Amino acid sequence: MPEGLTLFAQALAGFLTPAQLFNVLWATLLGISVGMLPGLTATLGIALMTTLTFKMAAGDAILILICMYVGAIYGGSRSAILLNIPGTPANAATTLDGHPLARSGRAGRAMGLATSGSVLGSIVGILLLATIAPVLADFALAFGAFEFFWLAVFGIVIAGHLTALQDPLKGWIAGFLGLLVAMIGQEGIHAYQRFSFGYLDLAGGVGLLPALIGAFGFAEVLMVMTDPSYQVVRGKVQSVIPKLRELFRYWRSIVRSGLIGTLMGLIPGVGEDMGAWASYAAARRASKERDRFGKGSTEGLLAAEAGNNAAVPGAIIPVLTLAVPGSAPAAVLLAAMFIHGVRPGPLIMIEFPSFVYEVVAMVLLATLAILVLGLLLTKPLLLVLRVPRERLMPVIFVLCTIGAFAIASRTFDIWVMLFFGVLGYALRRMNYPMAPLVLGIVLGDILDKSLRRGLVLTDGDPTPFFTRPISLVLWLVTFVTVLLSFGAVRRLMARLLAGRDG
Amino acid sequence: MTPGRMAKADFVTAVILIAVSVGALVESWRMPRLEHLAVNPYTVPGIVPGLLSGVLILLGIVLLVRSVRQGGWRLDAASLSSAVGARLVLMLLLTLGYAAGLVGRLPFWAATFLFVFLFVLLFEWRAGRPPAGHLKSGAFALVLAVAVAAGVGALFQYVFLVRLP
Repeated sequence: MPEGLTLFAQALAGFLTPAQLFNVLWATLLGISVGMLPGLTATLGIALMTTLTFKMAAGDAILILICMYVGAIYGGSRSAILLNIPGTPANAATTLDGHPLARSGRAGRAMGLATSGSVLGSIVGILLLATIAPVLADFALAFGAFEFFWLAVFGIVIAGHLTALQDPLKGWIAGFLGLLVAMIGQEGIHAYQRFSFGYLDLAGGVGLLPALIGAFGFAEVLMVMTDPSYQVVRGKVQSVIPKLRELFRYWRSIVRSGLIGTLMGLIPGVGEDMGAWASYAAARRASKERDRFGKGSTEGLLAAEAGNNAAVPGAIIPVLTLAVPGSAPAAVLLAAMFIHGVRPGPLIMIEFPSFVYEVVAMVLLATLAILVLGLLLTKPLLLVLRVPRERLMPVIFVLCTIGAFAIASRTFDIWVMLFFGVLGYALRRMNYPMAPLVLGIVLGDILDKSLRRGLVLTDGDPTPFFTRPISLVLWLVTFVTVLLSFGAVRRLMARLLAGRDG
Repeated sequence: MTPGRMAKADFVTAVILIAVSVGALVESWRMPRLEHLAVNPYTVPGIVPGLLSGVLILLGIVLLVRSVRQGGWRLDAASLSSAVGARLVLMLLLTLGYAAGLVGRLPFWAATFLFVFLFVLLFEWRAGRPPAGHLKSGAFALVLAVAVAAGVGALFQYVFLVRLP
């Protein structure tokens, strides 16, 4: 740990130059604006920013992307409070208490609370990132083909389940569809071109970034333009500076939300949305003021915002240590790291030991930037919400088109973007979650190679897939998750438990 | 979406999903086994896509059975046409026309100018609005279209050194 602290101090000092601090400020401000605008998500912001920064040095580009990420997840709270529309899906829980506060004339207070909740939650997440990532990377060195196979299946099943709690079937369909999409193109063992039907472009495979820009950009543009329009609450905004006494009163809730948010971030593909919901639910269960929740509760607002921002460093943990994204925006961050020549994975503490602490310093700087910008620029930021969608969306779509193209200068990537945009729109309208689809596209390759390598190692004997300790835990959790989603099994369990108690 | 419409949508989705997955399964089966190279039979390219197609067929069947139980198989022309609104049709015409049609055929700046101009003009059109309102909206569309076409084009061409489509 002392070595870790030294590396962290060195990393932080490295970023304290005027040029880097300027990057932190503008990128976070842009992130907040992107997060505030309904229809522009953190995932799209990072994906478009990746196309804009890929000529930069690795450190600078990743710093900008992380500022964009932290800024967007925080910025979404503004529209949740003022419009009752979550700016990004992660801020849905914020609307429950944030908007009632705004309606009763306390919008300023709500924005101040959201800012403090986000910052404090993020700090809890950062502490966990700095302590867990090195340990997890060390642990992940024990992962072989068997473990990675189950990690991929586990990720898809858990993400499919948690991002579509009402209807896990749709989450799983999205996840396995993503895995199948990842099969398109040249495979990594015999270089056979799967599902290419003789087309050279298909043999190259479906690029993650064009697919993401489609599913999160074009699909969102379609959603926003076909939804009813929104109205900004007008009126005076008073002081946004939160009262320290109030924050101290709810410290338990804030720390708990930070822990839950980080954990939700850590689980592959689950991320910020569930971080907020799970923290909100836990805060409500533990609260003495339970009846205030949903009517403008300070504690509820703090919990939701601490939960989603804590999930950001949480989602970065598996990116760094396993090369498995904790959430959809983290998937783009992972892709960006590969583009810039950083290879995250179990070897990260051996190959790039300082990189983990650089990322910790980056998230910390972004968090400080949302504190400063969020409290100082309240009024100028309100102007962002006044941009009419009819004028913003065509510009976003132009950026989606050129952004998809710019990565590899392939016209095919524009078609991929369009395909995933229309597919994503249709799936979203039918309540399919997008995160498992993205996770599937990322994990497809790992699943494919791990299963086949594992079978070669054992000469076709599947036993080690089920008996090695880490594999055992992963498949058991996966299996139980699937089993419990059947109504009949749940009812049987309830009856058995009731029988035991009675 | 109402439960009734969702059941219909699920029915159609399940049929498409099963058809695509069966196609993928057949294609996986037809993938070469590379026997002449004497490769390990557990590494043949078709094994993982085949398994995934199988899982998707299974999930598709569950979705199909569920939607049929909810009456989703009773499709009628009205429910199919009401799924697509006028705004969506206009959006798809504009966006697909731009990205798949104009980009690559016209110079990038010209395609972008046309797209942004038409987009703002058409979506800000309100029947019964005084002509002055339309004129103002049109003027704004023109300025925005010029700015985006020139700005985005120059940014990517000269700053990021991307050869524009």
